[in-house]
Amino acid sequence: MDNEFLPHPAVIRRIVPLSPDTKLYHLEFKDPRRQKDFTFQPGQFVELSLAGLGEAPISLTSSPLTRDHFQLCIKRVGRLTDFLDSLGEGRTVAVRGPYGNGFPLEQLYGFDLVFVAGGIGLAPLRSLITTVLAEPHKFGTLQIFYGARNPDEIIFREELQQWQQHADVQVTVDRGDESWQGPVGYVSQLVEQAEVAPDSSAVICGPPAMFKPTVDKLREKGVEKVNVSISAERRMKCGIGKCGNCIAGGEVYVCLEGPVFTYEDYQRISGSF
Amino acid sequence: MRYLKIKSDKIHPFLERLSTYGALYGPVKISEEFYDYRKIDDVKDVAFEYTRTVTPAKKYVIPTRQDMFEFDMDTNEYRETIGEVEPFVLFGLHACSIVGLRILDGVYLDEYPDKYYKVRRDAGIIIGLSCLPDEYCFCNLRRTDFVDIGFDLFLHELPDGYLVRVGSEQGHKIVDENQDLFEDVNNQDIQNFKKFERKRHEMFQYQGSFDNLRYMLELTEDHPLWDRESDKCLGCGNCTMTCPTCRCYDVQDIPDIDGVHGKRIRYWDSCQFRSHGLVAGGHNFRETKKDRFINRYVCKNAYFYPLGTAYCVGCGNCTHFCPANIDFLKNLMEIRGISEGVYEHSR
Repeated sequence: MDNEFLPHPAVIRRIVPLSPDTKLYHLEFKDPRRQKDFTFQPGQFVELSLAGLGEAPISLTSSPLTRDHFQLCIKRVGRLTDFLDSLGEGRTVAVRGPYGNGFPLEQLYGFDLVFVAGGIGLAPLRSLITTVLAEPHKFGTLQIFYGARNPDEIIFREELQQWQQHADVQVTVDRGDESWQGPVGYVSQLVEQAEVAPDSSAVICGPPAMFKPTVDKLREKGVEKVNVSISAERRMKCGIGKCGNCIAGGEVYVCLEGPVFTYEDYQRISGSF
Repeated sequence: MRYLKIKSDKIHPFLERLSTYGALYGPVKISEEFYDYRKIDDVKDVAFEYTRTVTPAKKYVIPTRQDMFEFDMDTNEYRETIGEVEPFVLFGLHACSIVGLRILDGVYLDEYPDKYYKVRRDAGIIIGLSCLPDEYCFCNLRRTDFVDIGFDLFLHELPDGYLVRVGSEQGHKIVDENQDLFEDVNNQDIQNFKKFERKRHEMFQYQGSFDNLRYMLELTEDHPLWDRESDKCLGCGNCTMTCPTCRCYDVQDIPDIDGVHGKRIRYWDSCQFRSHGLVAGGHNFRETKKDRFINRYVCKNAYFYPLGTAYCVGCGNCTHFCPANIDFLKNLMEIRGISEGVYEHSR
């Protein structure tokens, strides 16, 4: 019988600094067969394990089409990620997964797409964006709205520029600086000011505080609640519906049934009840 | 179903024989007031008259602390540490505890079966025992007061022994191998069994069912009891630790003194602890005591669909062991709009 909790060693092949506290890690399972068999959906996550420190759920940020390695985008926010930050290329971490439901890719076919990301929330969306851009004929137009706290914290800068060629990409910051020429304000304000087709399908990923204002603006544009997906991560400690830390609404294991929910379902489970 | 009788004078020999199938655990009187499941070295220690135990039977399938892996911090390699689990016999489980284990089965043996749980569950023989309710019991409202599955043998009290129901292959094997201890059930035994069940039914404080409770909870978000009752709560977690179906756990890595090796363990956690919903960066999904208090009520009253019952089995442990005297049942009745004195003892 397999032990699903067993983390599998993976080597850090490449580290790309994205901002002062965020890095992109290219990882490859030590066992070539495991790497070869490793497939996932955009929006799924893995449990990243560092012996002596524990595990943390991290969204996959690379395209599922990239098969020789996978990428995690990680911000320094706690004990485990602090230690990870000190590791260099060639060091070994451990990973198990993928877990969770991922974004409803097939349900997005044929729709004009509106992707809204806040902060590190761009990481899981990047996996979806690259997947959509690989098969653009399956989708309508693509709008990407991204908000960072300040210009320094903008991640995937080059890619944001590359995506411009295929999509309407708009970036805002909460607070600007001398060099910042773009808009200042929350990402929901970008949505408010943009032209969004009412029959669009939207995907939101970021801190919980941005969910409601963003959805409110989308609703004002006529976007239906059922066509809004939200990636609503909780404390997904085990990833496989056992430890109970991510239970929402009394019975929903976010790690199994989520982390991606329609806004309708998200409201149902996220209140006290 | 196969029915047998075991006479009172054969029960201790029966327990002796059970201990040949594995280490025998059962309810023991541990103080003036309390009982607990313990390893049985002398079968005369087994307490047949107990109502509830200090720790729930789940501890035999989910140890309070359990090693998961040994690891090497340099290589990030992990070695599973399940170890040998010797066969064991759990004697004297009441119906609510048996349903509790089945609920845990649903969680732990789903599409991602938990190996640590499975090896312990597979190693255990379950012998059920009938009981009479005390003032905390409401398994009848949860429809968990009688079990037809989830045990190997179930013993129902008779004036001169026990009526035995056989619930599994293993159960058949045990009675077949110990035929000298059992006899056929006669008409008087059947009458006595029915009488016991009637008496038991009438002893419950409340009659009816809680089937509609979950929806009433959803419609009662603004009830004043949430502030009033959560204000009393000490956040100690006793309610969840003594609950037969609470199963939240936390994981910790414990490095050895050499700074290279170590082990990953898991241990019982509680949604009543502040750390339960706390994530890196300081955000807490259940920030206030009230949030955590409500979470338990919602979680326990949600349905476990594979069994068609609530996660709460109505054992009353959370009320009995609450140091702040928070009465779970009374609060649920209040949510249903039934105040004390009106419904109490009504049938």
